[in-house]
Amino acid sequence: MGLNIDVQGLKFTYDAHPVLDATEFVVQHGDLVALLGANGAGKSTLLRCISRILKPTGGHILLDGSELQQLSSKEAARLMAVVPQETAADFDFTVEEIVMMGRFPYLKRFQKEEQQDRDLVKWSMEMTGVSHLAHRSIAALSGGEKQRVIMARAVCQQPEVLILDEPTANLDIGYQSMLLELAARLNRDYGVTVIAAIHDINLAVHHFNRFILLSGGRVLATGRAEEVITAENIQMSYGVPASTYRHPLHGVLQISVARRQPRGVCNNDERAIHVIGGGEEALPTLELLNQKCCRLSVGPVSAQDSSCRFAHFNGFPVIIVPPFTTMSSEHREEHLKLMRSAEAVVIPPIPFGEGNLAVVAEVGTVLKEGKAVYIIDLEGVEGRDYSGKAFPLIQNLVGEGAVALKNSGELLKVIFPDGDEEDERKS
Amino acid sequence: MGTEAKKTGIAGIKKPLFMVALVALLFFSLITAMIWGAVAIGWRSIFTILFDALPVYDSPAITDVTPVYRDILLQIRLPRVLLAAVVGSSLAVAGAVFQGLFRNPMADPYVIGISSGAALGAVIAMLGGFSLTLGGFGAVPLFAFAGGLTTMIIVYSMARVGRAVPVMTLLLAGIAVSAFLSALVSLLTYFAGERLHMVVFWMMGGLGGATWRQVSVMIPYALAGYLCVSFFSRELNAMLLGEETASHLGVNTEKVKKILLVGASLLVAAAVSTSGIIGFVGLVVPHFVRLVAGPDHRFLIPASALLGASLLIATDTLARIVIAPSELPVGIITALIGAPLFIYLLKKRRKLRYFGGGG
Repeated sequence: MGLNIDVQGLKFTYDAHPVLDATEFVVQHGDLVALLGANGAGKSTLLRCISRILKPTGGHILLDGSELQQLSSKEAARLMAVVPQETAADFDFTVEEIVMMGRFPYLKRFQKEEQQDRDLVKWSMEMTGVSHLAHRSIAALSGGEKQRVIMARAVCQQPEVLILDEPTANLDIGYQSMLLELAARLNRDYGVTVIAAIHDINLAVHHFNRFILLSGGRVLATGRAEEVITAENIQMSYGVPASTYRHPLHGVLQISVARRQPRGVCNNDERAIHVIGGGEEALPTLELLNQKCCRLSVGPVSAQDSSCRFAHFNGFPVIIVPPFTTMSSEHREEHLKLMRSAEAVVIPPIPFGEGNLAVVAEVGTVLKEGKAVYIIDLEGVEGRDYSGKAFPLIQNLVGEGAVALKNSGELLKVIFPDGDEEDERKS
Repeated sequence: MGTEAKKTGIAGIKKPLFMVALVALLFFSLITAMIWGAVAIGWRSIFTILFDALPVYDSPAITDVTPVYRDILLQIRLPRVLLAAVVGSSLAVAGAVFQGLFRNPMADPYVIGISSGAALGAVIAMLGGFSLTLGGFGAVPLFAFAGGLTTMIIVYSMARVGRAVPVMTLLLAGIAVSAFLSALVSLLTYFAGERLHMVVFWMMGGLGGATWRQVSVMIPYALAGYLCVSFFSRELNAMLLGEETASHLGVNTEKVKKILLVGASLLVAAAVSTSGIIGFVGLVVPHFVRLVAGPDHRFLIPASALLGASLLIATDTLARIVIAPSELPVGIITALIGAPLFIYLLKKRRKLRYFGGGG
């Protein structure tokens, strides 16, 4: 099962406005392809050309080498099934009747559905988990259930190619991944070629293994996630700055769109704060200060650390040290320099190990020089101290004048005692 | 949904039962309509006359029946009852097709303007006083038939975008053309002078003066239209899910639309030309069938045909006997009975199950 789809120089013009402009790509049989692209990039138009709803104004779509337009309606429906974003269901067909409609392309006029068709309907409903709804009216189902019924109908069509046009756009996260997992299963177990237009790139990356990125009716990139989903491509096709990272739990490529605050509204550029980095635990503190538009610096962290990514993402200076080592003397100097140029140093609730001890000692150095030092969640330090030596060191810091704070909210109150009014005045 | 299991249990036999009931109802209305009238004929006499009329059988009891009864039944009542059956089922089937095709519960057989086209044709024929006849038909039915079909063709070509005919455009074009033609009909009616009552009477719809000739011409049209429509009932089911979905399932939507339009239009034009504009049968009957048996057109089409026939026979019988020996236009009766019935269904079910209330 599975067909090659070869799209050659496809053009589609809507009211003299080109929607598809020489679109070209090849989908091999058995591919599991996500079609990405901004609104208006031509995803739906492309899929509607492939599913023969629209007639291209130019170019070719070849199914295993033969022209798609040459097929009869029924022949095409035996090869391709489509799951649209939404199906009008304002009538009283039962779920079973809807799924049975998937057999339409196989039945001759006046031919009764046979046992074989009924078995297939039953199997399709089991596969998509809608058997218990068989005798319910489609109109009475929720959006998620309805979409699974449509999926069952597509399965019942026994297609070689399954086309999904933003099938998850109206679904909750549970149904989203359930539906895409189903498509992936059809691909894996039955060799069905799947092409799906998906808005949510991070969702797509979890379920698909090939990607086609459309931009302005052309294919901007095609290939594996790493080749297609890059900051440059996203910037070019979606027009937003973005950065990529690995999902901390699944390790797949993920994308995050940068937030750009209007600098004029909150300008605290003169407030330089240095935050001791290390792990995800520092992130809430960093983000809070970032929202206040402080001029942050971070360090010292390893290159793979989330605090490091945060600093890179926002363009803050950061001290990067090789992982699993103690700091070299150059790094140490650099770090001291950063701390000295800041008005205050913050130790967020990070874990402490042998590697951090030197850092804590350096904080002590600048504290003695009169730098303001804030320690967040002092009580929690003992629990996060894996070296057994950091807790006494930090207690010493407090003894020498460092300020202990309960949480990062208190930190804001201390750094911006009249912050809110100041913000209001400036805006 | 505690009743779900129970519902499933009776669902299997519900449709056959309903169909049997509809056939029985049709039989019952046929007989009743032949019994009742300005002159009542006993049911024994009716069977005697009917069996005797069969070419292969001569009833020995025929000598007991008054010959005038025989003439009333065979020459007046029987053609009228049969014409009512054919017109009623044509309108109901056309209504079901248009509602399905337009996915619009308000569609009726006249939705794309066939009635106003036919009315214009009929009014022109009446006011023009043409004496032309063709195949035993006067100018009025001929003009009405031509007017109805011409309107369908005009609406269809107006709605065409390239090779496709979007149903929504078709509906809108139908409404616009219909409004324009109705205005023309009103204008002509205004100048109708002494022929006014003739025009008004025609437009109310009626089966008075039905002849075997009308029945014999109507039946091929009805049969052709009905076959045409029922050939494509599975396609019509798919079309209910939307044209794109139907196309994904392998329906050649443009072709199916064209065939269904032509089939349903033939049914309507033939019905209108023989009996004027009879409202409500085509609107109410398909809705009623859907309420009982769901939207599957493979069942809906034949069931609507049976129920439409029974309904028009029954209402026409009423039209004949309410103020006998004079009679009312049947269109008034169908509207008087159909509208409250429709509202009752609407209130009782809260929704017409066809369009499930956007669920």
